[in-house]
Amino acid sequence: MTHDTDVVPEESARPPLQERLRSPGGKLAARVGLVVLILTVVLLAFGIWWPNATLPTTASDTQEAVRMTLLVFSIAAAPVMALVWGISYFSLRHWSHSGDAPPEDGPPIRGNNRVVGSWLIVSSVLTAFLLVWGLSELTATTTISSSASPEIIKVTGQQWLWSFSYPEDGGVSSPDLVLPLNRPVVFQVTSTDVIHSFWLPEMGIKIDANPAVTTSVSTTPTLLGTFNVRCAELCGLNHSYMETTATVMGGDDFNSWIQTHGGTPGQHVAEEASNG
Amino acid sequence: MAETTLVRAEAAPSAGGGLMRRLNMWTGIGLGVVLAVAAYVIGQALWADDPQGTDQAVIAGEIGWVIGFLIGVGAFVAPIRWMLGRDLTHDDEMFLAGKDQGVSRYFRFTTDHKVVGVQYLVLAMTTFGVGGILAMMIRTQLLRPGATLFGPQTYNALVGVHGIVMIVSTIIMVVGPWGNFIMPIMIGARDMAFPRLNALSFWTLFPAVPIFLSIAAFGGIPTGLVAYAPLSTQAPPGMDAFAIAIILFVISAGIGAVNIIVTALSMRAKGMTWNRTPIFVLGITAGSLLGLVALPCFEVAMLYTLLDRSMLASFFTPDQGGSQWLYANLFWLMGHPEVYVILIPGTAAVLEMTPVFARKPLYGAKMAVVGIIGLVALSILVWAHHMFVSGWAPTLAGPFMLTTELISIPTGLIFLVLVGTIWRGKIWVRLPMLFIYGFLWNFMIGGVTGIYLSDVPADNELHGALFVTAHFHYTLLGGAMIGAMGALVYWFPKMTGRMLNERVGTVAFWLVMIGFNVTFLSMFYNGLEGMPRRVADYQPQFATANMISTFGAYIIASGMLVFLYAIISSWRSGKEAGPNPWHAKTLEWFVPSPPPLENFEVLPVVTGDPYGYGEPDTHHTTHPGVVSVSASTTEVDG
Repeated sequence: MTHDTDVVPEESARPPLQERLRSPGGKLAARVGLVVLILTVVLLAFGIWWPNATLPTTASDTQEAVRMTLLVFSIAAAPVMALVWGISYFSLRHWSHSGDAPPEDGPPIRGNNRVVGSWLIVSSVLTAFLLVWGLSELTATTTISSSASPEIIKVTGQQWLWSFSYPEDGGVSSPDLVLPLNRPVVFQVTSTDVIHSFWLPEMGIKIDANPAVTTSVSTTPTLLGTFNVRCAELCGLNHSYMETTATVMGGDDFNSWIQTHGGTPGQHVAEEASNG
Repeated sequence: MAETTLVRAEAAPSAGGGLMRRLNMWTGIGLGVVLAVAAYVIGQALWADDPQGTDQAVIAGEIGWVIGFLIGVGAFVAPIRWMLGRDLTHDDEMFLAGKDQGVSRYFRFTTDHKVVGVQYLVLAMTTFGVGGILAMMIRTQLLRPGATLFGPQTYNALVGVHGIVMIVSTIIMVVGPWGNFIMPIMIGARDMAFPRLNALSFWTLFPAVPIFLSIAAFGGIPTGLVAYAPLSTQAPPGMDAFAIAIILFVISAGIGAVNIIVTALSMRAKGMTWNRTPIFVLGITAGSLLGLVALPCFEVAMLYTLLDRSMLASFFTPDQGGSQWLYANLFWLMGHPEVYVILIPGTAAVLEMTPVFARKPLYGAKMAVVGIIGLVALSILVWAHHMFVSGWAPTLAGPFMLTTELISIPTGLIFLVLVGTIWRGKIWVRLPMLFIYGFLWNFMIGGVTGIYLSDVPADNELHGALFVTAHFHYTLLGGAMIGAMGALVYWFPKMTGRMLNERVGTVAFWLVMIGFNVTFLSMFYNGLEGMPRRVADYQPQFATANMISTFGAYIIASGMLVFLYAIISSWRSGKEAGPNPWHAKTLEWFVPSPPPLENFEVLPVVTGDPYGYGEPDTHHTTHPGVVSVSASTTEVDG
């Protein structure tokens, strides 16, 4: 069914490009190509604009990876979207017919192996690219690259608040999150009741807080300031209000914050094995 | 069925039928209410001291309602007659098929596939209405920050019931009405393979609707439609109602799916090879097969939830040795194939309509089949992408990212087939064609945003945010449901004998399309800015886009009301359609509109594929099986 029954005569002989462009079919291809090109440019511009315009502040290296991923995927998607929308729009514009049925049918084109084959190859290559990109970003965001020793923070969700403790700094605990700048942080996340999800929207990390299990996620804060901590898994009545703040401080400020809360920076507190 | 009943009629020509002929929807509701109240009261008395007593009594009451309803509506008439040794006579079968009963056959256990199709359509429109009202309540709450309208308990219940009612509605919206009404005619059959199972499928779903609504009476659900444990174990008895309704729905869907698969496999007309079978038939068969595999996982998960809640079975409660990840896996083993159970029939309807309105053969028809089969196969291998941030099996992130991204290849094939068919066609701009273009626009956005979500690092930011909500509304509402609305316009003349008013319908189309894009593009924006899903209240930074989104939702609602008006007014007094208003070539357009009881006078013979537009030598059928109107239809075919 997919053999070449395309009735455009110049397809089979394939004369030189200039002649093909001058022929009626070639003109058609040039015109639809122009529509697709314009649309591609518009979509590319939009695709470059929106990840920067809409994502929250980039406050960590992980969020930078998210921003780049959205940007790259938007660029990859733009020509495909432009092709589908462009051809559809062009067809509607040039061959539409309203009211009663068109007096005659369109050309009986059943398919074209070259077109289908190229489409399959292009979509496979794009998919392979997405996968390679995704895997390398995944590796980058899950490996701690910095040589500095990571700060470990225990995060506990319960209906409907967060609590944070710093087992390596004398066991300080706090209802707000405080993070050191430019130092890797490993969050060990658990829950006392139902599933919550620990989300730092400005840092591009999220991990569920599960009862009876500890999950972990890491990032490196790269921006001073106060950011959001939200719950991203529906956890009952006051889910909407299960949020607090994350403050990123410079190394010295962070150490003095630990001290004012009764801890000692770098003093390890033994934990119960059952928490693992 | 027709042949065997004819033989039986000669053997036992008796009238009668007694009680069977008095049963209908109302006797079902009556007996159902009686048994429900009785079971609930007895349950309360028996388990008064049990801490789980309320749950047990609610479960008993809901089961009482279902059994009472099914007995009362006459679902068990035939098995009971067989047990009594009294076979159904030809008259009985004709009565069951609704012969000469007028409107009342729509309120009975009627076996005619066309009656079941209409019943499904009306039920789906009703449940869409319920889900839509809930959506409007949700959006009105979110019009401004500050939780101005509902408390969090009510709001969470609204979100959960909206979600599940819409999922059920979208699963049945194409397969229910058009799989039952059109598909048997399209393949040249006189009815489904199992007409009584067909009726049973509908009348098992019907009692689930009041159970869904009873969730509100039993304290609502706090969990959203995913019903994650262990939150589901601490929920009020509304959760029990939710679980029973799901179990009932899955049974109904299973019965319906088996019927559709067997019908498509075994009852196609002489000469209808797979290459000559319309793509819509292949699509709903594939969708039904996928549903048959996937949906029982949800049934099992809900059964375990009920056992956890009423008998402390602790399947999903971690503090008693269960696992919340067991639930999440079961749910998503259903959940991801399920979105394709919704999408594939809607897409197949779009693929079926495109050649008719482009007046061109389906471009690369085999690639459409490959695309559908690819979606079915891959969709059962991607469920864990819903669990990327759950903490379960981080080593599987890579493999599930691969399978999820592979889905863009079969999806791309379907886009190629659609665009290839439209290219250089004689684009006949009638209302179904507008819906095809709406599908191309919305589903492209839904598909591309899905690619961001398939990427693990991006998903870590976007999961649980409104971005996801917007994405799946673009695929399921903007894609599948826009396709289903187009299918309604396309097959409305066949079903009612009248054309849908296209002027009013076009107004509805534009209102729905514009409203939809306003609503959900704003939701993408809020999701990217960091607003979580399913929240009753939000920070002021999200206020503007939420307000725009709510206004968009009101535009959708007004569009849907206009569409409903177009349906009702056209059904009552629309323009007469004739057998083939779209000059299409599939078999259903050869029979009168609406089709008579057994569709064809003699069974048709198929001689070619149904997409031979512009090919004078390709004929889908030379013997359409209709003697009385064949003059007009052969003219159209030529």
